[in-house]
Amino acid sequence: MYKKSRARYFFLLPGVFWILTFTLFPLIFSLYLSFTNANMRNFTRATWNFVGFENYASIGSDLRVGETVVTSVYLTVGSLLVTLILGTFMAWLFNHDIPGLRIFRSILTMPLFAAPIALGFMGLILFNETSGSINSIIRGLGGTGVRWMTDSWSARTAVLILDAWQWTPFVFVIILAAMQSIPEELYEAARLDTGSGWAVFRSITFPLIAPALGTVALLRLVETFKILDIPFSMLGGGPGSATQTYSYYVYLTGLRSFNMGYASSLAYILVIIAIIISTIYFWRVRARFE
Amino acid sequence: MATLNKEAAAQPVRAVQIGRSRLGRILLWVAVVVAIVWVLYPFVWAVITSFKTQREALEPTIIPFLQFQPSMENWSAELGLGARETTLALGNSITISIGATTLATVLGTLTGYALARFRYGIGNRNIVSWVLSQRFLPPVATLIPFFLVLQRLQLIDTVPGLILVNTTFTLPFAILIMRDFFADFPDEIEEAALVDGANPLQIFLRVALPLATPAITAAAIICFAFAWNEYLFASVIAPKDAKPYTFLVASTSTVRGVHFGYLATRMLIAITLPVVLSLFVQRYIVRGLSLGAVKG
Amino acid sequence: MNRKFLVFVSLLSVLLVLMSGTVVVAQGETFMGKTAEELFPGAADETERANAMAALLEANLPDATGQFAGQTLTLAVQQAGARGGISGPYYFWREAFQAATGATLEIVEIPQAQYFTTTSTDFLTGQNSYDVMNIGAWFLADYVVNGWIQPLDPFFEQEGFPVWDREAVFPSLANLMKWEGQWYGALNDGDAQMLYYRKDILTDPDWQAAFKEETGMDMPVPPKTWQQLLAVTKFFNGKDWNEDGDPDDGISLHLRTGGQGMFHFMSLSAPFAITPAEGDDIGKITKYDNVYWFDPDDLTPLINQPGHVAALEFLKELAATGSTAQFGWELAEAWNNFLNGNAVATFSWGDVGSLAQDPSRSTIQGKLGGARIPCSEKWYDREAGVFVEDSANPNCVGNTTGGSWYPVMSAFTDTPGLAYYLMAMQAAKPINFFNVYYGWTGVDPGATYDLFPPIGTASVDDYVAAGYNADDALEYITGYGENFFSHPIYQTYLRIPGTETMWTILDTRLGQAMIDELTPQEALDLVAQEWDQVNNDLGREEQLRVYQAGIGYVP
Repeated sequence: MYKKSRARYFFLLPGVFWILTFTLFPLIFSLYLSFTNANMRNFTRATWNFVGFENYASIGSDLRVGETVVTSVYLTVGSLLVTLILGTFMAWLFNHDIPGLRIFRSILTMPLFAAPIALGFMGLILFNETSGSINSIIRGLGGTGVRWMTDSWSARTAVLILDAWQWTPFVFVIILAAMQSIPEELYEAARLDTGSGWAVFRSITFPLIAPALGTVALLRLVETFKILDIPFSMLGGGPGSATQTYSYYVYLTGLRSFNMGYASSLAYILVIIAIIISTIYFWRVRARFE
Repeated sequence: MATLNKEAAAQPVRAVQIGRSRLGRILLWVAVVVAIVWVLYPFVWAVITSFKTQREALEPTIIPFLQFQPSMENWSAELGLGARETTLALGNSITISIGATTLATVLGTLTGYALARFRYGIGNRNIVSWVLSQRFLPPVATLIPFFLVLQRLQLIDTVPGLILVNTTFTLPFAILIMRDFFADFPDEIEEAALVDGANPLQIFLRVALPLATPAITAAAIICFAFAWNEYLFASVIAPKDAKPYTFLVASTSTVRGVHFGYLATRMLIAITLPVVLSLFVQRYIVRGLSLGAVKG
Repeated sequence: MNRKFLVFVSLLSVLLVLMSGTVVVAQGETFMGKTAEELFPGAADETERANAMAALLEANLPDATGQFAGQTLTLAVQQAGARGGISGPYYFWREAFQAATGATLEIVEIPQAQYFTTTSTDFLTGQNSYDVMNIGAWFLADYVVNGWIQPLDPFFEQEGFPVWDREAVFPSLANLMKWEGQWYGALNDGDAQMLYYRKDILTDPDWQAAFKEETGMDMPVPPKTWQQLLAVTKFFNGKDWNEDGDPDDGISLHLRTGGQGMFHFMSLSAPFAITPAEGDDIGKITKYDNVYWFDPDDLTPLINQPGHVAALEFLKELAATGSTAQFGWELAEAWNNFLNGNAVATFSWGDVGSLAQDPSRSTIQGKLGGARIPCSEKWYDREAGVFVEDSANPNCVGNTTGGSWYPVMSAFTDTPGLAYYLMAMQAAKPINFFNVYYGWTGVDPGATYDLFPPIGTASVDDYVAAGYNADDALEYITGYGENFFSHPIYQTYLRIPGTETMWTILDTRLGQAMIDELTPQEALDLVAQEWDQVNNDLGREEQLRVYQAGIGYVP
């Protein structure tokens, strides 16, 4: 009765209406463009041509798509793993009775507000191969300097590190919160059964933070796949095309070459995949917890 | 109700007391220090670089006076000659971020509440996954259509225009976070109020909303971070009057290369305000997310 | 906290105002009733202000307040701030412009990496925000062909505008501002890449002896061919010639993808790939001669021809005589390395010559050597299908590599007269020359009056007055001038729609070749293939017509 109250529309509609109002046109317009050969020369409805599925068909034969997807997947999976593990570890760490927790916590959230575009430029200083401090440390520890800017996988890793650095706090904050709401009694009981900290973590903490991890992972997945600012400002997509992510490629196609028809089809492929992933997540994964 | 709210907020921090041995405590503190260093590392370099001239910016020197002669050149450029531009852009960024955050949080709370408490014929999960899918479209692909929408509304290069854009982009986050919160929060109290004859709006305003304050704060902080960091749309839609501070950050890369000193000062200026803000509200963030994210 | 910050800012501003108030020097002369103080609030010191005032008075700007008072002009420029390169001079002369016209100049700064995207979107959506845009020369084709900008010729004969000397503009540079015979751009910055080297080191007798011993050659000062340069940088690379305790570099280049790395390739490859025409007019464009980008008959990309490939191989060899980090360097890093005295040579724009004079950027003032871009002892003759090697008569090809950032006028402006006034004022000899000899403006020489006799009329003293070391000024300006005037032939500039796209492709693939992901041949083959695709997408026939018109080819 309550769940079906007519008032339910009052709560739902403002937000839904907002999203529909401001995204419906862009979405439909992009979809429409993706079936045209719209570019900089013919950007009016009278002059561009309807080309059917031609744009979608040529995605398959576009060499660059494969390259950029590899980069995007590496960054997404890598950054996701690093942020989840580091963030969870930090949360575990600061879930101990540490004096001054509040101060530490706000220090640890600072990276969230460092604009990614600035972070990329900062990367030019930190990852500088000859004089950068990161290579200095590596050399100081007896290693050889890493070619952060001139080797494909190292450059991708540098982007990954910066992205992970920025977003670890996001995971940290949410997971710490999750850990702090685990009732103390559960730990007491577990500690009587088994002495090891790892066993406690595995049997008590982890299952209780798993749903939170799931949400965080999904949100991070969405954002990381779109990463553009850091490779843009730090490496210009290079060396070569090493740090050109999928969305970087969409940017170059749509907003540098102004090949809008093709760029829209590239974007739409991504949306379709995204909807499939998030639907599976909400129907399968989340359903198990709810 | 007031007591219940207080109780929720005053829940003590549950410290897990594993590291009781001396070695354990040492290891713990080492790990804490490492974590702090990891987070502060780029900022420390930004501070050092902000006192260096362009010539010295890439030298591996750390200690002022001993290794390099500190220069106030960058700071005086930002806060002296460039003061007007700096304050203007910061002002825009603040208005845009606060405006977008407020709108996204208000709408997100309503919609999140709706998705957690009511049932809709179209399927709640479908709505949620549709909301989330909005975040998947690469923003670059919708930039030109968005431009056309704003143009029709005569909002190009205006602060309201950027508020609109950022609200649209951050709203899905707010909805998801608030939905999680309300879904996990026991609704017995609300049902009790229903029995007492309150209507859904009264229940929402008098029962649910006060309890949700911490979660709302958390959602707000996350929305704020996204709006504060947004650059791509602003660079095309608002290059003149409404340009936000990220614009100035990006412009340290000029036709004569990157000016590292300006970059460092601007990055530090950009981070100051949100960090101060987060200091004031951070206890709500953790509390809010803790209530929302667990037991999902 | 925020209030404190604002208080701090306002205190600082008050302090600055007070400080500037204490050093006021009485200025006798005024312009439109305004003193130098009022007209040049952004001047760094009194000398600069006095020089600017003198230039302004000499420019003899007509009073246009009757025509333009109350109007507003919106200018888009690459962002670098009020004292930064390219955007700085517009700020510097803003008050003077406003005094002369009674109009308001609104300067919109756009980060340079986003500039093309932002301005193009503005046009595509019909927003048309800008009256004047400062563009890179490679935007011109897209802008003209899309009908976004208008020619300036109709204004040339009209009274009431500042006078600028179009005849003085370097001919190869003037070509970049023109389209099918009409001027679209007005003179501002002039770009070409020249060679810089450490004169003190290359002329040191001890190093010369060591060089002779090791290579059997006399030290070439300056290196005249790429092959000589390679010998020099190879010799110095890894030696501690600056006596700082660690090994130093030979060459210093900015090769980062997205960091203007492809410009190095363009300048270097020109003499490997371009041949002069036979007969009297060696600059004539034929199917085989004086072409670099495409076959002018059928638009087949030439970028993967043996000459271009050999040049890329050579560039890799040259880059190997410097830091391996170069492939990740952008302008700032590469220039820093040279200006800090860690590399013995670089080839880049005029900026290096002017930045070398700034103590906050450079430690090598007074040690600079400058020369025109080197020639090549080996090049590919496409007509005969063979490589030619001749070290006695190397192949010399000049370039206009770079942006040559200049203003163009929107086709949709409401105030074309006012727009032209600004463009003509910035191009007026005294003002443009001031911008050139003050290096902070980022404006590089583009007209003969910037050069020394016999070609030009400038004197070393002009440059010394702006802080140059006399020897450096002589080296830099002479070298820059020779770059534009002493080469027998010049590389054509790519001027067809889609140039931005094509250069991004070239940049990316070159980057892959630099880090050995692709061989030079593979990389350039891919470039050729992708350029073909771009031409097909944009309409091959129209592209061919535009290409032929752009380089002046008559089939």
